[in-house]
Amino acid sequence: MAKLLSVRELKIDIPKEAKIIADKMLRDLENSKRPVLEAVKTTLDNSYYNSKVGYLTPGDKKVRTELNVSSVQKLARVVFLLEIILRNLDIGSVNTKRELYYICKGLIRGNKKYKPLDFEDQVESDSIIDFIGDMLEVYREELNCFANERGGQTYSQQLVVTETLSDGTKATIDLSTLGTAPFQPKNKPQALRLKAKKKIDFCLIIESEGTANTLVNMGFTKRNNCILMGAGGVPSNGVRGWCKLIQEELEIPMFFFGDLDAYTMQNIFRTLKAGSAASLIRNANFSAPEVKFLGVLPEDVRKYDLPHYNVKESDPVEARALKKAKDALENDPFFLDKKNKGLADILRWLIKKKIRCEQQSFFSVDPKDPIKTEKIILEKIRNKSFV
Amino acid sequence: MLPRAAGIGISAATTWAQMTNARGVVVLSKKKSMRKAISGQVDVDIKSNTGVFKNKESVDWEVPHGTRVEFLIDGRIQMNGDGGLVTYIEGTVLVNPHLTIKYKLHDQDWITIDRVLHEVPEMPEATLPHPHTFKLGEFMTHATLFGKVTLVNFLKTGFSRISDQSINDFVKNGLLKPLLTKSLPTLTEEDFKKVFVAIQATELMPPSTKSVLTVGEEALSKSIQRLGQVDFFSVVTRKPCICDFKPVVVEVALARFINRNLQSDEPVQLLRFANRVPLQFDKAGCAITRAIESVNWKSYGLQQPKDSLPIGPFVFAVSVTSPFIKFKNASKETIDASDELVEEIRRTSMQAGQKLARHIRKEFKEADLERKLAHIELFGPILVEKLVEIVGANETRKSKATEGLRKLLGRDSEAAIADLEEAESRLKAQKDKEAKKSGQESGSQGLNEAAIEDERQTTEKTTEKTTDKTTDKTTDKAAERSTEKTTEKSTEKTTTAKA
Repeated sequence: MAKLLSVRELKIDIPKEAKIIADKMLRDLENSKRPVLEAVKTTLDNSYYNSKVGYLTPGDKKVRTELNVSSVQKLARVVFLLEIILRNLDIGSVNTKRELYYICKGLIRGNKKYKPLDFEDQVESDSIIDFIGDMLEVYREELNCFANERGGQTYSQQLVVTETLSDGTKATIDLSTLGTAPFQPKNKPQALRLKAKKKIDFCLIIESEGTANTLVNMGFTKRNNCILMGAGGVPSNGVRGWCKLIQEELEIPMFFFGDLDAYTMQNIFRTLKAGSAASLIRNANFSAPEVKFLGVLPEDVRKYDLPHYNVKESDPVEARALKKAKDALENDPFFLDKKNKGLADILRWLIKKKIRCEQQSFFSVDPKDPIKTEKIILEKIRNKSFV
Repeated sequence: MLPRAAGIGISAATTWAQMTNARGVVVLSKKKSMRKAISGQVDVDIKSNTGVFKNKESVDWEVPHGTRVEFLIDGRIQMNGDGGLVTYIEGTVLVNPHLTIKYKLHDQDWITIDRVLHEVPEMPEATLPHPHTFKLGEFMTHATLFGKVTLVNFLKTGFSRISDQSINDFVKNGLLKPLLTKSLPTLTEEDFKKVFVAIQATELMPPSTKSVLTVGEEALSKSIQRLGQVDFFSVVTRKPCICDFKPVVVEVALARFINRNLQSDEPVQLLRFANRVPLQFDKAGCAITRAIESVNWKSYGLQQPKDSLPIGPFVFAVSVTSPFIKFKNASKETIDASDELVEEIRRTSMQAGQKLARHIRKEFKEADLERKLAHIELFGPILVEKLVEIVGANETRKSKATEGLRKLLGRDSEAAIADLEEAESRLKAQKDKEAKKSGQESGSQGLNEAAIEDERQTTEKTTEKTTDKTTDKTTDKAAERSTEKTTEKSTEKTTTAKA
């Protein structure tokens, strides 16, 4: 089997580390001492933000799982899955989380004594895999557990991507030759190298893939030396890794264009720019701190008289987003950092006004001009109207 | 047999029978002193809305005294659900322990429910009004009924709970002494206001219990068992108090039944009563519903969505008794949700909830112990086996680790047993207290014989499991304790139940 490309330079030897942990647990049991497993606490209260670093990093807090009658099931499952993962690493086999779930099912079906370990659904096995990752402080990809996540649909007339394949050969993709088809890289940024045929002025990441497609169809990428990408809602690891790669390899200005609402600001833009609390240990490689928030900005609503809506507080999703926004202003280190004061001000404005304005509302400014949205975006970039 | 026709909407029922079946109500009635009974037909004169008695006859009737009424009514019958006939009958049975009822619904067999209280409750005697139940206008109108008497006499003879001491207290609270000896007609409106304010500012004894006819905790405890096989229950009757200037008594019974077809994931069945009359409609705005929803039942071990009735296979019966119940509408189906009344019902429900929680906690601890014991058995060996495989350890290490694991988890199960024992002793203490209150033997209240038998079987089962599963020395000890405890308890309960 071909050697897998490593995601990053890993400082630990996973099989060796896992064996040390297992040996310690066994020794504790032999001495009638309660074994303890510790994992990084991946929650907001253990997240730190330093504007110089640019993304959320883990603090010192750990989740301690000590053996007792309540945790014995979890520990047995951890050890059970750890053995499967170690075997995968040994023989170079890779799986998705879903496949690992079914591998567990198969092993449990084949041996009656494992029946109590059975997972009712994938959520249960996923949480164990995540725990193992957080315990060893490694990415799931480093445990040979890959997701079928793709980077955002990307269009450019200038970008050339070179991909190193698993057999060592290289493939070169010139995005200008793809016609109307987008380039959508797999979640393996480490395998890609980027080059610009001509100077690229900026990269625009659009929340809605549909709007990104519209802009491309109307000739946005032909008229501008740029990279245009559709994020497709909350950015997956694929999108985040791909943005990080663009930021590092091309060093061009990057802008995010999305809805003006609490959900977009906290769940989409913050995750793209600084990562999330749930993926604390991987934010270093899966966030693009240089991305700026181009809009929709509160001043755009006034300036362009954009149609907007009142937040329905009776709608549980919207009400929750507002409540979360209030929490974020008090507890989220990203919004508490003074470098992100502008973004926190937008959240405050949203909480106060209780309105939301969608990215597509720019199409209302001059309905007869099909490229009015493009003009506004370019004007905003020119005038530095972003946060 | 209804002692009198109050509370069943007799005039409406008679009119309805007459309108649909062209005949009012056929009545047969006999007093204790009468040799023969009187039978006849009561119709309603629709124009004047008055009763018309027809076909009067003296007939022989073997019963010593009583009244029988017969209606033939054409209408749609709703049997089940909150507004159903069965719920009405059950509710009436619950709050009338002295009632024996025999009924037949559709083509079902006759059903007889015997009384559990053999003394017919006496109608409460009319008592003098409590001064705190009056508003200023009522107070002044009441005074006009007494003619030329002095204020002090009026207060002492026109109200209950006013003694010489109370009069002194009124004076301390601002009542001018000279007013006391003045004749009522000479008092001005301003004087009445001052008197009224002083009375309201003075603490008085609560109104007499005799003015409200409660079911009582003991009778309710017996009556609730007539609704089905009770798993466990808790009953609370509060002391009478003043709500919105009226004397009120609230009683709450919470029960879980065996085989009552109540779903564990649906809201509890709420039975509401106002002066022993079941309230079956317009549940949402009722003071009783509001009060139950405002209690945090999660702290008593029940699930509860926000601002809703709790979830579970329980029956919650709440009875409000008062000479003046304020209803929200003319159909008298919804008790007005005033803050004071809601608070009183809420407090009663919380007291009942505290008692109920002890049963639920004990069950939870039992389940917890069983789960913990099962976990040791199921997951322990896998944990050790997989660790051994990852490390590549030998058999000696494996058996040593297995031994160590048993010791560790045995300690946990001991702690769970201790928790269960504590929960059991608290429940027992509560039952003893209740039994002492109602003069029964310890342990017999709150569980019927079948439930005790069930519990005995369950505990035996748990004990068997405990003994089977645990081979370790420590856990053996725990099992021994558990066996001793449960056997003792079962024996005690069975003996008491038989006695």
